[in-house]
Amino acid sequence: MGIATEAVRAGDLALAKRAANGERAAQRELFLAQRSAVHHTLFRILGSNRDLEDLVQDAFFEIFRALPSFRGDSTLTRWCQTIATRVAYLAISRKKPPAVDLALVEESLPDGTDARHEAQIREAARRLYAALDRLDPKHRIAFALATIDGRSMAEVAALTESSTVAVKTRVWRARKDLMKRAAKDEVLKSYLTELEGGAP
Amino acid sequence: MTEKKDMRPPVDPLSDVSWARVERGLWARLDGATPVPAAAPRSRRWVWIALPSLAVAAVIAIVFASTVETPKPLPAPLPPVVQMPVIEDPPTRVVSGDAPSSVTVGDAHVTLDADSAVVIPRASDSTAVLERGAAWFAIAPRTGKPFVVVAGDTVVRVVGTKFRVARSEERVRVDVERGLVDVTFRGTTARLGAGQHWTSDARTADAQVIEPKPVDKQPLDKKPVVVKPDPDVDQVKFERAQALEVKNPHGAIALYLEVSKGSGKFALPSLYAAGRLAADRGEPRGRILLELYLQRAPRGANADDARIILDRLKGPSR
Repeated sequence: MGIATEAVRAGDLALAKRAANGERAAQRELFLAQRSAVHHTLFRILGSNRDLEDLVQDAFFEIFRALPSFRGDSTLTRWCQTIATRVAYLAISRKKPPAVDLALVEESLPDGTDARHEAQIREAARRLYAALDRLDPKHRIAFALATIDGRSMAEVAALTESSTVAVKTRVWRARKDLMKRAAKDEVLKSYLTELEGGAP
Repeated sequence: MTEKKDMRPPVDPLSDVSWARVERGLWARLDGATPVPAAAPRSRRWVWIALPSLAVAAVIAIVFASTVETPKPLPAPLPPVVQMPVIEDPPTRVVSGDAPSSVTVGDAHVTLDADSAVVIPRASDSTAVLERGAAWFAIAPRTGKPFVVVAGDTVVRVVGTKFRVARSEERVRVDVERGLVDVTFRGTTARLGAGQHWTSDARTADAQVIEPKPVDKQPLDKKPVVVKPDPDVDQVKFERAQALEVKNPHGAIALYLEVSKGSGKFALPSLYAAGRLAADRGEPRGRILLELYLQRAPRGANADDARIILDRLKGPSR
């Protein structure tokens, strides 16, 4: 496993160097390889694809500008997701976005999709993200990555360039604020409980 | 025994068209940027408004690209059908949010519809790129290089006029209010006067030149007048979607979904309409949209109809 990781990192470093040198083919290869991860991170924090085209572009612009500083200490994916998190933080801090509308399904769905379950989740998530809109940006990001996206505290700490202790505190504070807001919203309250695996 | 379901909200993917737009815009920005500066500039996205007078060349908006020291041609690897002119000054990217917005750059006054994005040249060199949505361009008469708007494969060249370019994915429509514009689409050029419009359909690869309406001849004004956008944009879109249902149901659903994202009085009816139309077409998302409508408006005006459709979709009862 260690050898595979080393190989991945070496490959990442080589690609990053070529892209940083302005080689368009390498830049494109990097973009195609990392775009899903970058999009996923931004989506989880912001809750919908609204404005995400612009933010994805912003994130990659920052990624390419910062490429000369990539040393291979982490994987390229993790590094790109860290920058994406930073871009999301700036976007949230700069402007309070309107209530996020996760509810809309714009693509075709596979057969057999449980429509009712999906609709319930989307509605509950819409309420959750509307509540997240009102939180401190750092608390929101920590909660979105740890609780909604299910990442470990260590991973969230790496993505947000902070300590594990800070992340735990932010998640706790976010949860506390959300539960306060959920006191009048049974759907939100029940969803928060389900997301956290049933623990009150 | 009930299997525990994944309670995380699904991550909706971006469409191929969206990714193509992201990629195009990214390379354009990278090619307009300098080598990495010491401090990353703050990238502010939202662009705000406009000057009371076109005589004042005030630039308002927001940048993505940092300073440019040397001009660079656009990169060969981009697969443009239209050869884009070199943009010699750092471009300004203007993005509107939920509401229309406008900006003046040089002698061009641009009013964007909601959810639109335009890259505008800063100086007198005059190529704008409509990335998505629609915008009115009011251009003062000029004797030098014409003002040019690029939207996908379509190039619109103007000399002192007011016109609108609307882009939905790869479909473009041009409406001229005053003056003359030349529209070039994949080698074919059409000249439009006041009151005329033109549209393209990328899927057929042939431009359709609409029969011109009777031209209302007006002299070119030296001071173009900006027409304020219709305040009830949602109503216009909703009605447009209704008109599209038969001829272009996919487009109608997209328009309904766009309106339903807002919080105005047409949001819920649009959500229901999108679900109804999708269900009629046998699309699985129809069920989800109708369920969503009922979640939000269990006693809404269309709630009974939504339940009837959902019951029909479930099939005959046991």
